[in-house]
Amino acid sequence: MVNVDEIFSVLEEKFGATKESKDKWTVTAIVPAAYLHNAVQFLRDESAIKFEMLVDIAGVDYLTYPNHEGPRFAVDYAFKSMSTPGARIRLKVQVPEADLNVPTLTDLYANANWYEREVFDQFGIVFTGHPDLRRLLNHVEFVGHPLRKDYPAQKRQWLSTNDYLLPALEKRLEVLGYRVVQRSKEVETVDNEFLEGSIKE
Amino acid sequence: MIVLDHRGKRQSLMPLNVGPSHPATHGCLRFLTAMDGETIVASVEEIGYLHRGFEKMVERGTWQQVVPYTDRLNYCSAIMNNIAYCRAVENMFGVEITERCKVLRVIVNELSRINDHFVCVAAAFQDLGGTTPFMYAFNPREEIMCIWEKLTGARLTNSYSRIGGLARDSYDGFEQDVLAALDSTEKALKDLHACLDRNRIFLDRTVGIGKISAEKAISYGWTGPCLRACGVASDLRKDEPYYDYETYDWEVVVGTQGDCNDRLQVRLAEIEESMKIVRQALKRLTPGPIDIVDPRIRVPSHKLAYQDMEGLIGRFKSVYEGIRVPEGEYYCGSECANGELGFTIVSDGSGHPYRIKVRPPCLTQFAAFHELVEGGQLADSMAVLSGLNIIAGELDR
Amino acid sequence: MTDVAEKPNFITSSLDFLVNWGRTNSLWPFPYGTACCAIEFMSTEVGRYDLSRIGSEYVRFTPRQSDVLLVSGTITYKQAPILKRIYEQMAEPRWVIAMGACACSGGFYDCYCTVPGIDHIIPVDVYIGGCPSRPEAFFDAMFDLQKKIKDESYMKQRTERVKEQLEMIKAKTAEAKEEAREFAHEKVAEFKELVAEKEKEFVEQTQFWKR
Repeated sequence: MVNVDEIFSVLEEKFGATKESKDKWTVTAIVPAAYLHNAVQFLRDESAIKFEMLVDIAGVDYLTYPNHEGPRFAVDYAFKSMSTPGARIRLKVQVPEADLNVPTLTDLYANANWYEREVFDQFGIVFTGHPDLRRLLNHVEFVGHPLRKDYPAQKRQWLSTNDYLLPALEKRLEVLGYRVVQRSKEVETVDNEFLEGSIKE
Repeated sequence: MIVLDHRGKRQSLMPLNVGPSHPATHGCLRFLTAMDGETIVASVEEIGYLHRGFEKMVERGTWQQVVPYTDRLNYCSAIMNNIAYCRAVENMFGVEITERCKVLRVIVNELSRINDHFVCVAAAFQDLGGTTPFMYAFNPREEIMCIWEKLTGARLTNSYSRIGGLARDSYDGFEQDVLAALDSTEKALKDLHACLDRNRIFLDRTVGIGKISAEKAISYGWTGPCLRACGVASDLRKDEPYYDYETYDWEVVVGTQGDCNDRLQVRLAEIEESMKIVRQALKRLTPGPIDIVDPRIRVPSHKLAYQDMEGLIGRFKSVYEGIRVPEGEYYCGSECANGELGFTIVSDGSGHPYRIKVRPPCLTQFAAFHELVEGGQLADSMAVLSGLNIIAGELDR
Repeated sequence: MTDVAEKPNFITSSLDFLVNWGRTNSLWPFPYGTACCAIEFMSTEVGRYDLSRIGSEYVRFTPRQSDVLLVSGTITYKQAPILKRIYEQMAEPRWVIAMGACACSGGFYDCYCTVPGIDHIIPVDVYIGGCPSRPEAFFDAMFDLQKKIKDESYMKQRTERVKEQLEMIKAKTAEAKEEAREFAHEKVAEFKELVAEKEKEFVEQTQFWKR
């Protein structure tokens, strides 16, 4: 019967993972960002216990953590195995403030799409290769990343008009194989800035 | 808008916004569809209309002050969220709660699950047009909410469990009230099954609609009744048992096709399994303490605080500074009504939480919504949406 | 006619009574429910706490067919423009009930995303406290609203509206008259000029010896 610790030792030798000492209850492996995609693919397809489900992606900001040395942000991935019920493992990627890029997992797990959008929304960490990185929970005109420790909790921001969502719909049509040749009449304004989501070119 | 499909044929699609203010979207979901006549060709969803900043709010209080915020996550079954959070923190401490507390927590857990499933089923049928099952399903809810009122003081958002125990013990007559509520539940279930099992309209509108395969559901991270309806027998109460769930005699309800009908029928069958568990748990209820005796975790009672110096100090420190959860990072998931509700907790050893991330079960289900509705008709999207049981409090936090 | 209608009398007060009686006993709510209070509202609609016994027979999820906008649940900044739009789309007479702590004041969510009370966006008639508000509190609020409506005077509103419209018409006619007068003045001046010119020409023509 394979044990999660053995999976961890394979990760250690193949992908340079180190054990997270802060997690005293389960197995958490700190993986360098460059090896993340390969490590996750290994966990999903080739390891002795296959982790078929991505349970959660959480961002953490260590700005006000007492006695913290190291990069400011971290992204926690939690995985669960369906074939071996009860087996769970967590991966962690440390993200410095200077280089907020982490490779995306959307091609491996379908729910990584929304989880990564949320981490981007709340912390500002950019997932390279994400098909549609825009805000998920806060509104389109929101400026800043609210869950960072330096964002004051009571700083409110009004919204004037809701997101049109038509650019996202057109993107979805293109993914499905359609080609948009003429936009909707209602949206034929000159005001292109008004229509884009929160990522400006 | 004019599009060319993959064969080069011109099609004229109409963008239709099913906005947040709509009877079936529960006021907080929005999706924009591209329609070809009555068929949905593409759809994109938008959430965040009830984003209340749970994760930012919990950082400014103490660990015990998080419990009312967790109530309002899945407000239809509020106590389950409290228990899920308290369980996560108790695991970080490494303590084992008392026997009576375990049994009581199981009873209130399953009663909350019954409540939640009734709301989902009732709202689903109302969205499909039937108001009668809505009325039938809310009757046992009233009885259970009266029990909550007597037990905890509030009808809906109770904040009943505490880290290390419960807020207060059960009252005299609790067992009789629960048994009466279970009788009412049985009657309502019978009525609901009579309304729906062979109802032509209901079957036509839900069988074969919104099908999803088990592999896709797992890739999207579905858990709970929606995943079990796809045929995957995954239930945290059996896979990673807690509170002696493996010692009760009950079964995991599994569907076959993964369509809308299966999701609703799985919920109705889960109500029966929950009733079984509650009946067995009531027999196990023996007198005893409900709180663990450790002033570093569970605040000393009023009696001790007013009589004993250590009790007073313990109470003061616990309330003002918060309990000191050991430093570290931990993820713990519990089986709530919609699926696996998980908490990723980062603690810095002080009395205030450093970071608590909630893993909502409905986020994964709504993320797959476009897969379920594309290719179907607009009316089917309503059936699908209500069968997924999206609770916006949990989805947006 | 307007003079008679301006002074309150037996006819206007009877009409008021009838209109208010109709309105108070058939308040159809539009449950703009976002969060937990919406679930308590659902409990109020059915079975034990039956809402239709006070006249709210069925809830209408469209602003055009309902009288009372019942905001139950937290309103976030993302939701705010939609709430405003729905309120603007409702037809008169309309009232607003803010149900629950979150709708009245933001509740205990004092953070970057919640509107601290819907009265920042729309005018509110009745506030209900509670988190979530009990069904009994909701009934109390409906009775308060009915009392408020009974004190309204439809005929007074109507006369005020008629007065407003009359003033508007008077103002417009005055403006038009002004314009016409100016135009007329201009035209008269023009004609006078023309006549003077023609006269001069004529005089010049006849007094050929002066050329």
